[in-house]
Amino acid sequence: MGLPCGVFSNQYGKDIAVIRTRQQWMMLAGLFVVLCALPFIPLIKGGIYFVSALCITIIAVQGLNIITGYCGLISLGHAAFMAVGAYTSGILAKQLGLPFWICLPLAGISAGAVGIIFGLPSVRVKGFYLALSTLAAQFIITYIIYTPASTLTGGIIAMPVPLARLGNIVFNTETEWYFIIMPMTVLMTFFAKNLARTNTGRVFVAVRDNDLAAEVMGTNIFRYKILAFFIGCFYAGIAGSLWAHYQGAISVDDFTLRNSIWYVGMLIVGGMGSAVGVIFGATFIRILELITNIAAPVIAHAIPLISFQIGASLTQIVFGLVLIVFLVLEPRGLAHGWEIFKSSYRLWPFSY
Amino acid sequence: MTLETLIQLIITGISMGSIYGLVALGFVVIYKATGVFNLAQGEFLMVGTYVAWTFLSLFKLPVWLGIVLTIAVMIALGFGLERFPLRPMIGQSILSLIMVTIALGAVLMGVATLFWSPYYAPVLPRILPEQDVVLFGVKYPGLLIWGFLIVLILTAIFGLMFRYTRIGLNMRAVAESQHVAQSMGIRVTRVTAQSWAVAAVTAAAGGIILGLMRGVDFALVNLGIKAIPAALVGGLESIPGALIGGILIGVIESLTGGYLGQGLKDITPFVIMMIVLFIKPYGIFGLERIERV
Repeated sequence: MGLPCGVFSNQYGKDIAVIRTRQQWMMLAGLFVVLCALPFIPLIKGGIYFVSALCITIIAVQGLNIITGYCGLISLGHAAFMAVGAYTSGILAKQLGLPFWICLPLAGISAGAVGIIFGLPSVRVKGFYLALSTLAAQFIITYIIYTPASTLTGGIIAMPVPLARLGNIVFNTETEWYFIIMPMTVLMTFFAKNLARTNTGRVFVAVRDNDLAAEVMGTNIFRYKILAFFIGCFYAGIAGSLWAHYQGAISVDDFTLRNSIWYVGMLIVGGMGSAVGVIFGATFIRILELITNIAAPVIAHAIPLISFQIGASLTQIVFGLVLIVFLVLEPRGLAHGWEIFKSSYRLWPFSY
Repeated sequence: MTLETLIQLIITGISMGSIYGLVALGFVVIYKATGVFNLAQGEFLMVGTYVAWTFLSLFKLPVWLGIVLTIAVMIALGFGLERFPLRPMIGQSILSLIMVTIALGAVLMGVATLFWSPYYAPVLPRILPEQDVVLFGVKYPGLLIWGFLIVLILTAIFGLMFRYTRIGLNMRAVAESQHVAQSMGIRVTRVTAQSWAVAAVTAAAGGIILGLMRGVDFALVNLGIKAIPAALVGGLESIPGALIGGILIGVIESLTGGYLGQGLKDITPFVIMMIVLFIKPYGIFGLERIERV
């Protein structure tokens, strides 16, 4: 990481710090001010629902990034793990009357535990075969929610979830929820970013790059693969719990295979193994979705022949094409572009 | 439950499973030749069925011409997809390969929705005899038996093709090692395209048989997903394994549906897949990959 002219580190701690100059601190402070002011800006105020939903997605994809991006284990069932968190949280709040603040971590832990079960085949297989295990997770978890657990979950009917409250304050407006979800997202992103810089994170990367070499060097790779699954699915559980309480009602349709695939797509578009890439990817895909949702009626109006089905098909086509374009042209994702931009900004006017 | 019910369930399972096997054959052919697992196989199946429906029911072409045109379209699709986006993906990571086929599936699904969703509950014309067949004193719908026979014939054709023709030899060589095959003068890109075309045609064949049984709709995509456990159980490298795995999955699924309830039926293949992944991840006939340092 290049630094502006004249900045030198004289301690190791300073050298590995993420934020190293006064300018970066100021930009960070500015970012926090903007994040806090977001619900009060007139133009964005109406769309604060979009921002909150995006934040929940970011938490989920940060978890996927730990599993897939850092540890190299492919998960095609992330939405199902999110569903585990959402339903755990919802059932605990509804049946036992537990407050939201206790449900939230419990949801994370339960999703993590389920994640471990479906991560167990990683002891014997990797790569594509492991992807199949998580694909099975998607279907098995959905089935369990639908049928055997339907007395608790309501099956096909959406399950209502009680409102979150802190003391006498009931969280039921968009703005109040934003101030729960946004700090959670910042916190989870902070942990995800720092996890990659710890011992554990470095082992994850070693396992991803060459698990045989990592094993030969003395790491217990099975333990770390399971740990990656637990942490990643914990994130999914937290995201699911937030989603459940934020929406006030959950159904299995919120957590389909398609959602799982979209999360992997966000990771690829953003760039794997990068916490900031996750934010880029999730935002990019969500905005793309928004644009297609706006564009679909316009196209339908212009070409009446396809007006009936354009909405359903346009999103799919656009998502698929964007994914293919990124995979072929920029497999390192938007995060890579961001790095290039940063270094050329720093070197300007001598960027080359 | 009587013995008769049991036999009936098993035979239904075998014929249903043979269709899974046929779709699984598509997975195996591509995986053998290129190392890519095509998760868009379900979409291939759905598109193939709709193409056949368009030729046979919408344009009302004669059966033989409709089938030939469907095969031609599927071969063109396979060749086209090899050119883009699959050729630039050679040598990429497994995740990229998986995701590119999923993205392909999304595009195919979107395009299919655009073309075919306005048609309500389309039905294929009856191109197979539908009289009930009596076997071991039990009556079966003719479609199940005829479908099973067609699948057997197709699997035999593809199996023999792999074993005895030049194309099959090239495919086996590419599967063994792309580099060696290339240096021996085999055009790897063309072999890849051929295997994608074969997969597309098998998917369409499975789709047409299924379409005759239960009508043409977008839920056909799910059959492609159910064929994944079949391919895995049989072993990803084995052509007879695909058929045997498919039949195994079909029979177990049919028995679960008959004795334990219809709801459980849909996830049985995935439960079996989890068990196989734990016990014998490379399937019954698959090659165990031993890594050497």
